[in-house]
Amino acid sequence: MTSAEVANHYFRKAARIMDVGERIETLLATPVREVKVQVSIELDNGEIRTFQGFRVQHDNSRGPMKGGLRFHPQVDQAEVLGLASLMTWKTAVTNLPYGGAKGGVQVDPTQLSLKELERLTRKYVDQVHDLIGPTQDILGPDMNTNPQVMAWVMDQYSKYHGHSPAVVTGKPLELYGSKGREAATARGLQFIAREISRDVGLALAGLRFAIHGFGNVGSHAARLFHEDGGLIVAVSDVHGGVQNPRGLDVPALFEHVRKTGSVRGFGGGAACSSEEVLAADCDVLVPAALGGVVDARAAQAVRAKIVLEGANAPCTPEADEVFEKRGVLVVPDILANAGGVTVSYFEWVQNLQHLTWDEERVNTELHRVMREAYEKVAQISRSRKLPLRTSAYVLAIGRVGKATVLRGI
Amino acid sequence: MSLPHALVKKLLPIPVFSGLTTGEAAEFFEVALEQEVKKGTVLFHEGDDGEALLVVLEGEIQVTKKGVELARLGPQSVLGEMSLVGADDRRSATATALTDLRLLAVPSKRVRKLLKTDNLAALKVLANIAGVLGKRLSLINDKLVASTGAPKKKEELANFGKILTDWTF
Repeated sequence: MTSAEVANHYFRKAARIMDVGERIETLLATPVREVKVQVSIELDNGEIRTFQGFRVQHDNSRGPMKGGLRFHPQVDQAEVLGLASLMTWKTAVTNLPYGGAKGGVQVDPTQLSLKELERLTRKYVDQVHDLIGPTQDILGPDMNTNPQVMAWVMDQYSKYHGHSPAVVTGKPLELYGSKGREAATARGLQFIAREISRDVGLALAGLRFAIHGFGNVGSHAARLFHEDGGLIVAVSDVHGGVQNPRGLDVPALFEHVRKTGSVRGFGGGAACSSEEVLAADCDVLVPAALGGVVDARAAQAVRAKIVLEGANAPCTPEADEVFEKRGVLVVPDILANAGGVTVSYFEWVQNLQHLTWDEERVNTELHRVMREAYEKVAQISRSRKLPLRTSAYVLAIGRVGKATVLRGI
Repeated sequence: MSLPHALVKKLLPIPVFSGLTTGEAAEFFEVALEQEVKKGTVLFHEGDDGEALLVVLEGEIQVTKKGVELARLGPQSVLGEMSLVGADDRRSATATALTDLRLLAVPSKRVRKLLKTDNLAALKVLANIAGVLGKRLSLINDKLVASTGAPKKKEELANFGKILTDWTF
C-alpha cells in the first residue's frame, strides 16, 4: 500500500464504523481541486529540464488548506492526494482552522545545484500562485524542502501579490519564521508521551524509549524525552544503530552525531541494526524515520507497550492489526506528529498579526493543542472501545463533517 | 347465431358489459363467434387491423408491446377494446395464447354498425370502455410520476449531521 492508500484505508474504516454512507464517504474523500503543472527550468549548463509539479487541495470546509511541498523523484499525483487528505484529518484532529493540501515536484533535488533548486522553486510558485495564498492554501516544508526553499516561495509569491509571509510556513527565523518550529513535531510527541504515560499509569521518569530515525524528529524527541527523565535505550539512523538498556548518554550521543553525522559507532552502547531498535526492550517505541518501516512481522517483534508514530504512516495497516490484537497502544501519526503543523499554524497566526511570540508562548500553546487533541481522541477511544487511530479518524471526520453540514454543499 | 342464455349471463359481470340488460346483451352478442385457439398461437400482432373485440372465456393470454410484457389476461378479460374507440383502429399490442383458449369475438364492424344506429347496447359498452380506459390512463399517470417525477427527498446531508450528533465530539 502506498501512503495515499494507507490514509484512505483508515479513513474508510472509520467512516464505515460511523456508518456515514457511501455518498458522504465519497464527498469527504474527493479533493476540492487537483492541479498538475509544468515546471521547466534552465540548468546551470544551459540545458532545459521539464519537471512535473502537483498541488492537491483536499478539503477547505474548516479553513484555508495547509500542506507541505516536497521535492522527490517518485512523487506523483496519487501520493500527493493521499498526503493532502492526511493533512485534512491531521488539522481536524488538532482542531486547527485549516483544511488539507499537499504539493510536490517530481525531481531528485540532489542532482540540482542551489541556483537550480531556487529556479525550480520559483517556477513552481509561478505555476500555482493564483491557487495558493494566506487565506486559500498555505505551503510548508516537507521531504527535501527546507526553510530556504520556503523563503523563496514567500519571495516569489510576494512578487505577484505583495508582501505575503503568511502564504508559507517553516520559513527561516530571520524571515517571519516562528520560534519553536524546528523542534515542534518532537515537542508534540513529548506532550503526547506525557499524557499517555499518565493514562496507562507509567511514570515519566525512567520511561524507556527506543527511537527509530534520528533526523529532525527523532533527535529532538530523544533530547526532550531525556529532559523529562526518560531513558533512551536504543536509537538508529540510516547508517546503523546503538543501544544501551540502562539508557544512552544523550548529550554525549549528540556530540558524537555532531562530529560524525551519524549515531553509528557511538561508544556509549552496543552497536545494533535498525530492526533491533524496533524490537528493543522498551516502554515506548518511536518510529520517526520513513513510512512503512513497521510491517506485520516487525510488529510481532515489538516489545514496547506504546508506539508513538513520529513519522507519517510508519506502521502498515497489517502491523496496526497486529498491535491491536496484542494490545499495544498505537498513537497514530495524525495525532502524534501533529506538533509540526500546529506550530506552522502559530507561525501563520503571527504573520497575519505582524507580531512574534516568544518560544515559551509557542510551547505553551502547543501543549494546550496537543493535550486537547489527545483528550478528545482518548475519550472517543474509551467510550466507543475503538483503537486510538480509528478514534482520531472518527474525530477528524466528525469535525470536517460538521463544518461541511453547517456550511452546506 | 345467438349465444346460449347461460353464457350471456356469465358475460354481464365483466366491467365492459356492465349495465346491459339480458336483452341488450343478446343483441350485442348476436353475431359473436366462439373460437378455440391452440396454445402458442399469436392472436394478433401490434399494428394489425383491429378486427374484433375479444372476450376470454377459458385460458390465458399474454399481451406484449415491443417485446415487453404488459399483461396476462385470464377468463372474463376483454381485449381489443381500444380498437373500437381509437382514431387508428390498429392493434396497439401483440397477443399470444399462453394456453389453449376459448374466446368470444365480436367483429368491430358489427359494433360500429350498431353505433351508427344509436344502438343503446353499443353505446353502453362504449361508455364502459371509456371508463376502463380512463382508469388505465390514471394508473399510467401515477407510474409516470413515480418513474420520472420528483423522488422522495433523501436529506443525506441532514442525516449525516444527525450521525455526527450521535457521536458527540
